Amino acid sequence: MSTKFKELGKVALSVTGIIVVWWAVAATGIINENFFPSPGAVWLAAVELYQDGILIGDLQVSIGRAAIGFVIGSTLGILIGLLTARTKFFAFALGPFLTLLRPIPAIALVPIAIVWFGIGEGSKYFVISYTVFLAVWLNTHHGAAHVAQTYIRAARSLGAHRTREFFEVIVPAAAPHIVVGLRLGAALAFLSLVAAELSGASEGIGFRLQDARQYIRTDRMFVGLIELGILGALLDQFFVYVGNRLVHWEQL
Amino acid sequence: MSMPQEQTTTTTTATATGRVQIEDVAITFNLPNGDTVVAVDAFDMVMEPSSFTALIGPSGCGKSTLLNAVAGFVPFSHGSIKIDQEPVTGINPDVGVVFQQYALFPWFTALGNVEFALKRLNLGKKEMRERAMEALREVGLDGRASTYPGQLSGGMKQRVALARTFASEPKVLLMDEPFGALDAQTRIAMHELLLRVWDAHRATVLFVTHDVDEALILSDRAHIMSNGPGKIIESIEIDSARPRRVDAMTEDFLKNRNHIIGLLRHPEPEM
Repeated sequence: MSTKFKELGKVALSVTGIIVVWWAVAATGIINENFFPSPGAVWLAAVELYQDGILIGDLQVSIGRAAIGFVIGSTLGILIGLLTARTKFFAFALGPFLTLLRPIPAIALVPIAIVWFGIGEGSKYFVISYTVFLAVWLNTHHGAAHVAQTYIRAARSLGAHRTREFFEVIVPAAAPHIVVGLRLGAALAFLSLVAAELSGASEGIGFRLQDARQYIRTDRMFVGLIELGILGALLDQFFVYVGNRLVHWEQL
Repeated sequence: MSMPQEQTTTTTTATATGRVQIEDVAITFNLPNGDTVVAVDAFDMVMEPSSFTALIGPSGCGKSTLLNAVAGFVPFSHGSIKIDQEPVTGINPDVGVVFQQYALFPWFTALGNVEFALKRLNLGKKEMRERAMEALREVGLDGRASTYPGQLSGGMKQRVALARTFASEPKVLLMDEPFGALDAQTRIAMHELLLRVWDAHRATVLFVTHDVDEALILSDRAHIMSNGPGKIIESIEIDSARPRRVDAMTEDFLKNRNHIIGLLRHPEPEM
């Protein structure tokens, strides 16, 4: 309890320190306000966006997209990962794509996603779920393919048939890796969300960043960037919290 | 006239389960560079039902490999292994294994681990729980039933592993240096516990170790193995009464001990 409190205190101190330095640099006036806004200007921009209902609206839209993409991508990632790790056929059929697909960045998929799914929500879900899928697939595959041999030997000599071996040994043994994949996937969901929203969107954090550029509203851009930072950090903490309870036998 | 005798014979074979017969077994491994390594060669051994056999030898002599072959974990290239006349062709739930690294499932509690072994018996939920608790009581860990392996000491983990393996009532129990990772005091306690539990269940035990004292304290018969390829160089019957204690060694014990240590030092005595 007290260590957690200490940790929070450290974070608060660090953030305050950065804001003070930022504010001090801005106050000297050596940097053009339009180029690099002061903390106060960013705060005012945030308040303005909030009063117009844009801030909350963007958050809702973006979180909704990221969540749907995450659910689709992670479900498929876990299923395919278990299959490629434990069945010869899927390992043969899809194995090479584990390495071939990895270098393709999410943003490179936006044009084809728009052709396939239009500029509506479909293309966003596709880009996000694809990115999440890849991260979760990779980690699930790794975890399920490298289950300690003694676990499998013990399970079989204790009379477990294939189904029980799969659900009571393989899946829990791979669970720590799956959780790592989900955590990574959640971070990547926001990364690809912005990529997807930069073109063909009319709301959302990514759109707002692009929109702010048109009017050189750097203060609004900073609001968007800070939103992404806070959202990502909170989500990561959430996954660590849930993950440590879900796979309590392994410290994440 | 010969009828009664025949009947007796039949009854004896039916109740006497867990006889292990290893005949002329060779185990080879193929290395990635194409070479073949003979780990075990021309290996013969018989384990009578409910006997306690120790296999002693230096590291890398193939004793664990042989145990793995009896367990059905690794295939053998020559000879036969039979358990109650049935050839070993793969992993068999009648053969229980206790591993050096415990192999407890960390995602299940102590009770969950024992229940895992009982599931193949298709008991009702209540009966399964009772039998699992009984198995934990036998090793003195019924108070830690809901503890996860991560919170147990090494000795406790191995006690849960023993309870888990005995719970499924194996005919043959294979133990691969099960107490190798434990400190000396815990080992002594584990020896007593193992003999007590074994007395109650009476499986045929094959106990692999490199510790001469351990083999002499536990087994009825100790086979000493030599290095590459592994084979038995001498077998010793140990008929002194249990419990045997390291701190109260009999003359026989010391004689056997010195003899075995001598053999291990000079595995191939000059003729």
